[in-house]
Amino acid sequence: MDILYIVVNILVFLALAPFFEGVVRRVTARVVQSRQGPPLAQPYWDILKLLGKQNLSPGNLAFKIAPVVALASILSVIMFLPLGYRENALSQYADVITLIYLLTLGGVACLLGAISSKNAYALVGSSREMITMIMVEPVLAMTLILGAVKVKSLAIPASVLSVTGAGYGASVIIMLVVYLMALQAFVGRQPFDIAEAEVEILEGPFIEYSGPNLALFKYYMLLKQMFYAALFVIVFIPAIKTGFYGLDVLIQLGFVLLVYVLIAVLGSTHPRLRIDQAQKIYAVLIVASLVAVGLSVYGI
Amino acid sequence: MNIDLYGSLLTAMAILLGAAVIVPILSSKRKLAGWVNFILVAVAGVMLLNISYITIFQGGGAETQKIMGIYFLIDGFSAFFIAIISFLAIMSAFYSIQYMEHYPDYKLWSYYLTFPLFIIGMIGIVTVDDLSTGFTIAWQLMTIASYFLIRFEYRTEGNVRNANKYLILMELAWVFIIVATFLINGSAVGDSLHQLIEKMGATSGMTLYIVYGLLLVGFGFKAGMFPFGQLWLPDAHSIAPSPISALLSGVMIKTGVYGIIRTFFWMVPAEGYDGQLWGIVIASFGVVTLFIGTNQALKQVDAKRLHAYHSIGQMGYIILGIGSALVMLNSASVTVKLLSVIAIVGALYHTLNHTVFKGLLFLSTGSVLYATGTKDLNKLGGLMKLMPVTAVVAGIASLSIAGMPAFSGFASKWTIISSNILAGSRIMFLVIFGIIALFISAVTLASYVKFFGMTFASSGVEWTVAKKIKEVPATMLIPKLILAILCLVQGLFPFIYFGLFISIFKNSAGSILQPIFSEIMFDGMVVNNAMGVAVTVPGMQGMVSSVAVPLVVLAVLAAAYVFAWLLRKSGGAEEKEAPTWLCGYQDLNNKNRYVAHNMYSAFKKALRWTGGNIKK
Repeated sequence: MDILYIVVNILVFLALAPFFEGVVRRVTARVVQSRQGPPLAQPYWDILKLLGKQNLSPGNLAFKIAPVVALASILSVIMFLPLGYRENALSQYADVITLIYLLTLGGVACLLGAISSKNAYALVGSSREMITMIMVEPVLAMTLILGAVKVKSLAIPASVLSVTGAGYGASVIIMLVVYLMALQAFVGRQPFDIAEAEVEILEGPFIEYSGPNLALFKYYMLLKQMFYAALFVIVFIPAIKTGFYGLDVLIQLGFVLLVYVLIAVLGSTHPRLRIDQAQKIYAVLIVASLVAVGLSVYGI
Repeated sequence: MNIDLYGSLLTAMAILLGAAVIVPILSSKRKLAGWVNFILVAVAGVMLLNISYITIFQGGGAETQKIMGIYFLIDGFSAFFIAIISFLAIMSAFYSIQYMEHYPDYKLWSYYLTFPLFIIGMIGIVTVDDLSTGFTIAWQLMTIASYFLIRFEYRTEGNVRNANKYLILMELAWVFIIVATFLINGSAVGDSLHQLIEKMGATSGMTLYIVYGLLLVGFGFKAGMFPFGQLWLPDAHSIAPSPISALLSGVMIKTGVYGIIRTFFWMVPAEGYDGQLWGIVIASFGVVTLFIGTNQALKQVDAKRLHAYHSIGQMGYIILGIGSALVMLNSASVTVKLLSVIAIVGALYHTLNHTVFKGLLFLSTGSVLYATGTKDLNKLGGLMKLMPVTAVVAGIASLSIAGMPAFSGFASKWTIISSNILAGSRIMFLVIFGIIALFISAVTLASYVKFFGMTFASSGVEWTVAKKIKEVPATMLIPKLILAILCLVQGLFPFIYFGLFISIFKNSAGSILQPIFSEIMFDGMVVNNAMGVAVTVPGMQGMVSSVAVPLVVLAVLAAAYVFAWLLRKSGGAEEKEAPTWLCGYQDLNNKNRYVAHNMYSAFKKALRWTGGNIKK
């Protein structure tokens, strides 16, 4: 059974991440911008089409392996996630700190790919991406540590599932608000889509990528987005355990859909910030989450 | 066997002394001098490594011995430091053979005179068992020898000034330590640490605080602790020849760590020692050191200065590990006490890892300097194709220092951070320290993405370096490859090293940690095998802490990698190489390059107050 949970994790994420992206596009178009928008399946077609297109590269190794490493790292992270409140066969081999570093690995792959593309816009984008990573990673870390401090364990299922264990104390509420504010930065959407900034630096880190390499990066971004949405649901929505694994997963996916709607609405109603402005906001978020962790040590 | 150990220690030192006499005579034949120096250092180094091996794995160490009026002590703890010093000395000597060709205008006799003396001095610091006579001889030998090595390029403007500053500050540190020793009530010249401990019992409370304060500052100077490290470390490390920089950053500053642990965990009287307070002080210094040091490093555009500032930052992790272990040891809770084992093991583990990856980084930068003539990140770029081997090993070292999973820095940083966070459930400030350490780990990553990206990826040398660049010769590659393999081994098999460090502390008599190390029922509480390292405490549910098993994580990553690779192939797309397009410009050019000092400018601006800023 334990192995099955890993397979379900991977399949659910691979299958649904593009669909949720389709939802975001649809919501943005219909709800906010009064237009029809693309079909829900459009992100699938995008990826399929890119997989068959010509693969251009400036001819160095780092550029070629970067997209593969990025996708591999986010898939590994997903394998460790306790979706449906179930520990799986891999849970005991990693803890939350490993999870954080693995997520960072994906970011690093993006950056190295961008830097080795030699394009000045890609370098601008990767510089911004790195700042964002430095500044929002602590928020993610502290969300997980909040649970770790409560159960005195860094194991992934224990710390992820125990944040709301003792109800919504002040620390949990602060952390929830902070996580929601950081969510747009986690998933690289407005007002924090500073690294890609399509109209300004033309997708920054990905500017030189095309064909299958770009498809891999797109998939990586979609999966990362779904990971952060799912993590929010797993951590902050109290477990509604029905006893049936499939049903638990479906309920969680329902909540994930709601988070996506929120992402879409926030993303389409806010203008992009400059990196120095965003940085100030991140700093406030870091301080707030430090307060939350501090409070949780005292059981508040 | 005791005679044997001290006998071979003295023999090894005599061989090194011999090298200092013979090699300068040969120095007009540059290559020959290099080889002879390497062979003699290697012979002595192997003898010293053998001492470490016997001490750690077979005997558990020897008693204090008085040789020529000086007390010596080789136990498991000093054996560890002997091992890292002699190992890196061999690597550095090997690398020097070819590297010194890069200074055709300088005579080499002073280099080969002081190189072995420097090694003797460092070995001396970690083996003498007093804080007066023997300590002074070793410290002066180490300091003066390294002073001449640092000012080797004396014709370059500013180098002599920086070297002089180094000398003065190290003498100041020596004064601090000596004064501390003589403040102890009734201490005499040549007292062994045991005698000092007894005399400390009779020293009044207030004096004892001053003694420990002075010792911390003295050794803190050497270890690069904030604010003392900033005064000398970046200047000295960046101007020395690269093999020497590797030794300075890799092992010399570790003698400060040795001193701090030796004095705060061994030189402790039965009463009147406030471990909790000193733990808090050391841990706070550690966290400030790693925060400031790493943020200053992020601003550097000179590759060697960047590594040097990171040495300060990484020493912060080690000092944090030491301090938090001391805090945890003095806690009332059994759980937290057990965690001090993990924290101090992490500190020593990071010491080892830092030796290897920082040595490797300095040697790699040395190779870049050798091949291109510059270490300015604004000028470098695009060396991946020209120097592929150096690029790969520098990549491994960068990932190690940044703490990516399955590389060496990850295992040791994980150990320090996780023990702090877990202990934080009782002691609030430790969790904050742990989070700061985690945050700084991301800054380290940013800095090394810049170093690697701006040296080996990106572009630049096409326009900024006139000479033809080619990969460095094999004699410069071999030491780097050995170090790179070690980086991988130390990251992949943490359980071997955990076992090693636990047995070191278990077998080194006299430390305040020893009781807790020998009390632990390792079967029940500390699980340490190929399946990872975990600490559990009876009566508490589940695992308290678990280390990621790098092998499993790596296997998962590999499986995912294969999947992603197949996905990319699945569409059957055609592959083509094309030059980078620059939005309207046909070709890349030097004017449109994005150079290193532009990276992270918003972040650097926000952290101006941390100092270490670079003028444009």
